[in-house]
Amino acid sequence: MAKMDKKWIVLCSTAIGAIYAAGYFTTETQASLQQPASYSQASVKTGSSQSNSKYKDGTFYGTGSNRRGEIQVAVTMKGDKITDVEISDFAMHYSEQDVVHLPQEVVRIQSAQVKNVSGATYSTQAFKDAVDQALAQALNA
Amino acid sequence: MMRKTKLFMDTVVDIQVVVADRSKDMAAATVERAFEVFRKVEQACSRFSRDSELMLATRQIRTAIEISPFLFEPLRFALEVAKWTNGMFDPTVGKTMEDHGFNQHYLTGETLHHAASDSATYRDIVLDEEQRTLSINKPLVIDLGAVAKGFAIDLAAHELKDFAGFIVNAGGDLYAGGLDNSGKKWKVEIQHPLYKDQTVQKIEVSNEAVCTSGSYERRSPLNTSFHHLVDPEHKHSPKEWTSCTVVAPYALMADAFSTAAFLLGKDRGLALVEQMNLQGILIDPNLQIYRIGGI
Repeated sequence: MAKMDKKWIVLCSTAIGAIYAAGYFTTETQASLQQPASYSQASVKTGSSQSNSKYKDGTFYGTGSNRRGEIQVAVTMKGDKITDVEISDFAMHYSEQDVVHLPQEVVRIQSAQVKNVSGATYSTQAFKDAVDQALAQALNA
Repeated sequence: MMRKTKLFMDTVVDIQVVVADRSKDMAAATVERAFEVFRKVEQACSRFSRDSELMLATRQIRTAIEISPFLFEPLRFALEVAKWTNGMFDPTVGKTMEDHGFNQHYLTGETLHHAASDSATYRDIVLDEEQRTLSINKPLVIDLGAVAKGFAIDLAAHELKDFAGFIVNAGGDLYAGGLDNSGKKWKVEIQHPLYKDQTVQKIEVSNEAVCTSGSYERRSPLNTSFHHLVDPEHKHSPKEWTSCTVVAPYALMADAFSTAAFLLGKDRGLALVEQMNLQGILIDPNLQIYRIGGI
């Protein structure tokens, strides 16, 4: 059988190489790494509110609730753009029975024993409420 | 182990690295760089943001626009797969996707509608290798849903390569590098298409990508027989498979070929995975499982 896969492997490694050859990634990301990338601190940074912007800069928290508890997200805003959404904490414990009623996306992430599952791409719908709540807090008055 | 979870590309990106507790702070910066890759690829390739590089570069026809490799590379790969499948896989399905309600940004809620030519195909997308430019011959909407995520996973894996073990899982498409925290190959389970709390098989991988295209997660909000995998010619969702998993050395390959196999249907889908010398687990609507490549 003709080894058709070689061509595709070369295409993949070339594609990755193109990002690094041009120094595209390494140089640009240095700046973003200067700031410590820790969003775990409890305080909400309420950044400067510029007069024309819709949202404040900073990191804002939102929770999406379900029957048993909450999913917390940390949404980082900069220049009216969402730059980062981290699922920050899931300190909840569910019995098997509870889990059945939770969105599968949430269960996958919360289960203490991480199970690596490949499946059709699931959406972020389960996190929408939490993100919306964080955005509401980021709104300039 | 260290683990962080963020949202990118309308899915949940979960990164785990095998690292000693005392080194977690150092590891955090590297993991952050891996997430940064997703941000970059999304900004380049999203059709849901009017100011993404992709949407800015396709505003006008017959105008060559210089684009970054974050867009150029996945687009080139998508066009190669389009050629290889004679257009059964076609990145110009963006307009059809929009028409079926797949047009809302997952964070901002903004919806986009574009004018596009009904006759547009991947042949109307022109990449200039020398000048690194993109131009289009007709108004069209490019959807890179089957390659951008895979490409981002590969770049993230490149960032994490110095860890003894790591997993980048973007909503069910993943790359498993090195070994898990007990020094064994990573165990990856394949989602059962019907029962959400079950899996059909457990496989062991190391330095490999596992990507699955399935019809069971994303249904059209407007028409439930339509999902996010679309036959570009007939503008409907094929029904010969419910789930196609491909294991490959790169996520870009596994992502694109799991989608292509799904779209090609039974015989041609199986043949594609075989010809590529890849491993695959393909599941039809009767839950019959086809395994390829000694998996």
